Amino acid sequence: MSDDGRPWASRFRPSTLNEIAGNERAVGQLRGWLRSWEKGPPERRAAFLYGPPGVGKTCSVVALANDLGFDLFEVNASDYRTKKRLDELVGRASMQTMTITGKRRMILFDELEGVSGREDRGGISAIVSLIKGTRVPIVLVATATGEMWEDKFGPLVDLSLVIEYRPVPFSAILRRLREIADELGTQVEEEALEHLAHRSQGDLRSTINDLEAIARGAERVTMAEAEVLGERDRSDYTPDALMKMFSSKTLMDARRVISSSLISYDTLFDWIYENLPVVLDDSGDLAEGMDALALADIHQTRGRRSQEYRLLKYMFNDMTGGVALSRSRSEGAGLVKLVRRKVAELGFQPSSFTITERPEGLQIKPVRYLGDDWRPFNSALRGMGAQWVREGGYWNVPYFRPPQLIWRYRKTWHSRRRLRSVAERVAERCHVSTREAVAEVIPLLKVIFKEDASMAKQISGWLELDDKETKWLKS
Amino acid sequence: MSSGMWAEKYRPQNLDDMVNQTEIVSRLKNFVKDRNLPHLLFVGPAGVGKTTSILALAQDLYGPGYRSFILELNASDERGIDVIREKVKNFARTAAISSEVPFKILIMDEADSLTSAAQHALRRTMEIYTRTCRFCLIGNYSERIIEPIQSRCSVFRFSPLSEKDLKGRVRTIAKEEGVNLIPEGLDAIFDAAEGDLRKATNLLQAAAATQGGEVDDIAIYGVLGRVSPGKVREMINLGLKGEFLEAREVLRALLIDEGLAAEDIIRMIYSEVLRLGIPEKRKVQLSDAIGEVDYRLTQGARSEIQLSALLAKLALAGEEMC
Repeated sequence: MSDDGRPWASRFRPSTLNEIAGNERAVGQLRGWLRSWEKGPPERRAAFLYGPPGVGKTCSVVALANDLGFDLFEVNASDYRTKKRLDELVGRASMQTMTITGKRRMILFDELEGVSGREDRGGISAIVSLIKGTRVPIVLVATATGEMWEDKFGPLVDLSLVIEYRPVPFSAILRRLREIADELGTQVEEEALEHLAHRSQGDLRSTINDLEAIARGAERVTMAEAEVLGERDRSDYTPDALMKMFSSKTLMDARRVISSSLISYDTLFDWIYENLPVVLDDSGDLAEGMDALALADIHQTRGRRSQEYRLLKYMFNDMTGGVALSRSRSEGAGLVKLVRRKVAELGFQPSSFTITERPEGLQIKPVRYLGDDWRPFNSALRGMGAQWVREGGYWNVPYFRPPQLIWRYRKTWHSRRRLRSVAERVAERCHVSTREAVAEVIPLLKVIFKEDASMAKQISGWLELDDKETKWLKS
Repeated sequence: MSSGMWAEKYRPQNLDDMVNQTEIVSRLKNFVKDRNLPHLLFVGPAGVGKTTSILALAQDLYGPGYRSFILELNASDERGIDVIREKVKNFARTAAISSEVPFKILIMDEADSLTSAAQHALRRTMEIYTRTCRFCLIGNYSERIIEPIQSRCSVFRFSPLSEKDLKGRVRTIAKEEGVNLIPEGLDAIFDAAEGDLRKATNLLQAAAATQGGEVDDIAIYGVLGRVSPGKVREMINLGLKGEFLEAREVLRALLIDEGLAAEDIIRMIYSEVLRLGIPEKRKVQLSDAIGEVDYRLTQGARSEIQLSALLAKLALAGEEMC
């Protein structure tokens, strides 16, 4: 590949699947879904890809289109402000399965997060009706985290195969950087590459930009040069911003997280809530910190209800300063304690692992070969956001994990839908409200369905439940 | 008669079948005899026969085709008073075809959960359709029903079931279903049901499903541990032990996976906290904290955040009591 003057992030943008770093599972899901179109339109005619920036969401769509021979029709945020505009632009494309050149077509909606606020509601509903009628695969891409997932994209998510992209693992980023350096014939010190990979926080695109900043035109790059990048004044990746916030000693320092972090204050709130019990490992601190967060929530509710957005500053003070300054007796060893407890719970000796604090997270290395014990331990740690780093033979547990809300809502999407439909049946047949059905009757039905097949059969006949609902009660 | 849930199978079909609330039942029978009735307001705790009474009255009054003469609404499931009004309008507009009874009956369960503004709107609706439609409003507390509605209704106060009545009824059902319910099991059901016969019957049925042989107290506690109040207790205990993260996981499971309303969770927390073996003064303190959260929830605060803050308080209280 010649140096054509393009920025490296675009020059080294993967054009085939093999070049995509990380997110193998997500890419596999997307690929499987696209392949399923060969047998005619599948049940879900759209795929919804979401995740942090620079992890290869759009890249993988482009690469897959190349690999599978699709003609890609790209639509950007500015194109879907209104239904009319969208119909003009995409309506016909979604009905033609083939292009003039005989290629199969596929439609990509990029930067979906750009659809914001009420004026765009038309936009979302226009996409919804497109999905319902489309004859070609539609891929939706959003750099999205946080609660808005349920609210804003709810109607889209309902119709789509939802695929989550995660930050690219440290090791995959390191590998890709090395490949690029080799291809360029530039000698980059291993330490420098590691420094870059660590700074990346899983954002491969920005890391390639960083590499370009120090290596373009150079024959050798040393650690000293990489360090110059230091604290580049780009907005902080959330975990870094949180780290600063939790160690603040003044209200003003703590509040800085609101403006310096990449994400909305709503999402930031969720991050703080998720991680606060790990950081504040003293009960007194925790109660105080949670109190501050609960008050922040109250201020926000008041602001929203009265439409007086000046009230939000009180929310910011509580959720940042209120939380950070409640830290007085905590040792900041919550994560270590948590890991130790997991170790003990699974029946290991504390000496079976070494636990080291590293900048990128807690490094947990087994002292001996784990054999079959690896799996349960792996899944326990994964629950804490850990990743197994094969090269080093250790797990890396990040100090801060993303809010679990999205993940939880996603995981329980179908189950909650069944819950609603069963609750309506129960409410009608048992003369109770659906709320009461959920709280009082369904939990008992679940016990019955698990324990007594013949009674279950009778009840499901009586409630006129379908197979899926019956199965849900049994699960 | 085949019915999946025993609570429905053994729900009395006619007023004559009802063994409890005898005074109320005899007054309702007079309405049937007269072929006329006023608007009704039934108040009393859950599971003591309010809905059963009105359904039984309707069957006695209209006969086997009674379903087409009644409309059951649950205020907590309806989206606003406008929807309710629309439904009432459509139902009441078509005059009853029965030769003898010139009106239909609209049953509004959980009417006390309506805001007072909604109740005022409902009152006007009641007046408009009073010729062709009788309203039977059902709720737990009469104080939560506005005066103007109360004064337009005959108010019936349902009393809690006595221990003897509740146990007798559960024993009868167990016998009919061939369940070997031993006295310890029955005591456990009584303790858990808090006077609610429907709850007691459902509990019996679930316990019977888990048990091949006899249903004893262990079987009952086994079932209770697997349903929401049991999980709430587990959450509280985790909190008290200082295992906040685990407690929060349970909270999330209750709120998201099981879809419980925050108000129901707070109600269960409250009744569990009162039963805890902790100093009485602590109970008052915790009750205070629960009350604050309860209020905040009515003000639209985020339930998981507020309930988590409560769990953190439990953790602190647990540590201080050590």
